[in-house]
Amino acid sequence: MVYTKRTPWTLIMGVIMVAYAYLVQSGALAAVIKYLGTGRHAGEMLTLGYTFGGIAILIGLWQLIAKTAEGHVDYYLSTIGGVMFIMLVAFIVKWGLDPQMAQWGRAAQPTLGFNFASVMNLNYVVMGIIAGIVIVNVFKVPDWAENGVRLSRLGLKTGVILLGALYSFAELQQLGKLSVVLIGIFVLGSVGVVLWWGARRNLPNSMTGVLSAGVGVCGVSAAVAAAPVVQAKSTEIAYTIGTILLFGVICMFAFPIIGKALGMGYITFGAWAGTGILNSAQVAGAALAFQPTGIETLKVAEIFNITRVLFLPIIVIWLAIWYVKREVGAQKVNVGQVLVSKFPLFVLGFILMFLLSSTGIFAPARHYQGSYFDNSDKVMIKKDRSGKEVNNYLKDPDLELLKKDAAKITRDDQKAALQRLIGNKKLMSIEDDDTLRGVVNAKLMSKEGNAVLVKAHRAVRHTAAKIAMFRDLIAWFFTFGLVGLGMQITMASIKQAGGQPLVIGSFVGVIKAVGSLIVVMLLVHETI
Amino acid sequence: MSEEKFDRGSALTIFGTDRHEDLVALVLALVIALLVYLYV
Repeated sequence: MVYTKRTPWTLIMGVIMVAYAYLVQSGALAAVIKYLGTGRHAGEMLTLGYTFGGIAILIGLWQLIAKTAEGHVDYYLSTIGGVMFIMLVAFIVKWGLDPQMAQWGRAAQPTLGFNFASVMNLNYVVMGIIAGIVIVNVFKVPDWAENGVRLSRLGLKTGVILLGALYSFAELQQLGKLSVVLIGIFVLGSVGVVLWWGARRNLPNSMTGVLSAGVGVCGVSAAVAAAPVVQAKSTEIAYTIGTILLFGVICMFAFPIIGKALGMGYITFGAWAGTGILNSAQVAGAALAFQPTGIETLKVAEIFNITRVLFLPIIVIWLAIWYVKREVGAQKVNVGQVLVSKFPLFVLGFILMFLLSSTGIFAPARHYQGSYFDNSDKVMIKKDRSGKEVNNYLKDPDLELLKKDAAKITRDDQKAALQRLIGNKKLMSIEDDDTLRGVVNAKLMSKEGNAVLVKAHRAVRHTAAKIAMFRDLIAWFFTFGLVGLGMQITMASIKQAGGQPLVIGSFVGVIKAVGSLIVVMLLVHETI
Repeated sequence: MSEEKFDRGSALTIFGTDRHEDLVALVLALVIALLVYLYV
């Protein structure tokens, strides 16, 4: 079978990509980029536009001119058309739809009272899948692109492996034993309940498996990671992602209201949100809604949340064994054999990247998603791009402003942190930085005083360039994978899946939210 | 997209087995990590 189709489309897409990059470079699209606020993506627009465009032009020409015979060259090179097709859609999603939606969300905020784009999670994840679904159902995937669309799962798997680089072991050491036990119980418990219930309702094993990982662990990435182990179909992955996001939207509104009604403290609420809400972005949203004037809640919620991600390998092993048992109908399963034959190597890759990141080769070992604290002289006094020395220590007028506003601070820990800042002209610890960020968020001081605190914060907080690069790459691999995934979801397959997964997912989500509320109220106190 | 359209791989992947696909993803990710480590 010869896979290469004689089509001009690969060449045409290459020309479009190169032309786009050229227009960005020449400044012809400056007004559009300014309007969408995508200036920080200008670099990747050039790199990706020229690189993918160049490859598409070369392969496109080869497809038009060369005579292709059956074999590896034909098979693998024929995927390029589909890859470029997905990338072109991904460009539109990432550089067009995503920033446009964010802008509409901000514009409608004064009228609606909330940012609908952020609340509904209308980012590249959702829009990538929707774009793919629209293409396959309204326009149909062209036959020359079909082979390449089958590479979307490879993109998702690569994204999951790279995801490991964002986390480091040092951050987890902040956790108490209680929180690990708490998270473990709820992750494993939710997975167990979904598996049991799915079996009772006669859902396909693949659907139940992927839903259990999504509901139990951490939403989108867990669903993606578990999917191959249970042979899940594209529709089932999309259903799981839809259920998690929809349920998360409700949680984002409900959790802060319930938390306030019950008089929960910052740490208790953070622990509840980090355990009970399914999707990471919505965990952060609920924590900020509960405590807009500080970051104590957000920090606890995020630590609980990332711990869930690290349960992923355990869940994958469980699902691998469960799936083999269910499909084969075997009473006794050789666990070792299943692990050797079924355990996905890409989940091991995730662990490997996590371990590499923990050694500090991508960022100082104590980083959290690439952000780290450093107040050494090396970073406080440094040279800018023009070679001019920049001194980041606070100056006398800054200190005068802080001294003047110091009386407005009433909390002892905040007072002490402020005194240390004034005495040393720089923030002395990560804890002081967190404490004073709470002062900034609460707007306790004058506008000028707040500006000095922000300046002091920026002087000691740094973003590791390598981790920032990983984050961008992960977003691209996920966009690529999700657009391709959407292209495999037809209306018929959605109807076939029915509404059962949504019901089961939401119900287990509610059980998890209520159960974790009770346990957190009983066990977690304002110090963990 | 039906499976019969392809005589290699499956409807979801161009690779013969999941293990093969995992291995390619792992190699790809490690190469990317190496490039990020060296050049960023």
